[in-house]
Amino acid sequence: MQIIKRWLGASLLGLLLAGSVQAAGFETRAATSAPELTARDLQGAPRSLADYRGKVVMLNFWASWCPPCLREMPSMERLRLKMAGRPLAIVALDSAETADEVNGFLSRMKLGFPILLDPDGSNTKRWKVFALPTTFMLDADGRVRYVLTGPTEWDEGEALVLIESLLDESPKRGEPGT
Amino acid sequence: MRLIRLLLLSLWMCSCAVRTEMPDHRIFPAEGATLLLWVASERGLAEPEVHAAQQLAAQGMETWSLDLVGAYFLPQLASSMDAVPQQDVARLLRAAQASGKRVVVYAVARAAVPVLRAAAALDPAGRQGLCVMLMYPNLYTVAEPLTEPDFLLVGDLAGLRVHVLQPRRSAATPWLPGLLDHLAKQGATTSHVILENLREGWWARETPTEFELAESRRMDVMLRRELDNWGCK
Repeated sequence: MQIIKRWLGASLLGLLLAGSVQAAGFETRAATSAPELTARDLQGAPRSLADYRGKVVMLNFWASWCPPCLREMPSMERLRLKMAGRPLAIVALDSAETADEVNGFLSRMKLGFPILLDPDGSNTKRWKVFALPTTFMLDADGRVRYVLTGPTEWDEGEALVLIESLLDESPKRGEPGT
Repeated sequence: MRLIRLLLLSLWMCSCAVRTEMPDHRIFPAEGATLLLWVASERGLAEPEVHAAQQLAAQGMETWSLDLVGAYFLPQLASSMDAVPQQDVARLLRAAQASGKRVVVYAVARAAVPVLRAAAALDPAGRQGLCVMLMYPNLYTVAEPLTEPDFLLVGDLAGLRVHVLQPRRSAATPWLPGLLDHLAKQGATTSHVILENLREGWWARETPTEFELAESRRMDVMLRRELDNWGCK
């Protein structure tokens, strides 16, 4: 049953990638190894991708001055709630802003997923991010599988199917989702 | 057969006529010693830009306002700027320099491409007499996630002075050092300033901040300040 489910999931994903996912702008990557991520969270604790090993990671580069970034944030929060208990880590890395600027925004929008800081833009450069938002989908082995430049509704449609497909590839390996 | 020849000849003559034209531009005359050639971005000229051009002229700085995508009936896309004939823009630069005034070119976003190409087409003396201010210039050929950026080669910029104005709130800000290096490798003498609390195209944003609104109304002041601080003579 599990095999059939996975096969159906993969087939559906294939169809979507050939059609509307392509239109949404998801780029498929040939499981390339992810660049280093060295950042701090809002409490000042150091964070890296190793903290999320074994989970599917949605790494979202954003900034508080970027309207499309803010538009997709509620859907990321809904995704977090929908995926509670599943091995998905949603991580939002603020690009080249200060903690004060980020906290100013977070006082207006309550988000439950971790926000990391990149005040000098070094992660933004290492990941070669040229537009915001840009989101990288990593599989549970830490490899980049999909990239999306621009916003989407993360808790529905193609984005959700894509996330489910990555989760289906890595059953029961990770801790419960963030 | 004769009719076809006549038709081909007419087409050739028309194309010659186009080749010898300068792009349409609007002139705000003034008596001062500086001429500012304002080249709008691929999004065209916004009302606050026209207002700033009028203000500068009122303060004595002659301003020629140029909307390249409009002048060539091109779609409002960054790639349209790459299709603008560099010789036409070079002709406009020479016409500006023929006025005898100090010529400052101010180009926004991808308009940097035709402006720099035109500057490269000038003779060395013409290039050295030019001051070029670029507002968040877009010179990318490749800007793909996880891939090293690549910038356009625009030609020989030896002797050209380029001052980049970069709004802090831009995804391009972390990449500014690479862009400046690229311009320097082509011969330009570069400098830059970061414009705090502003986003790209703040004068035409759908949801501007209070600060952006205020700055939109005083773009003339910002440009004069940057020109004075830069000191390009």
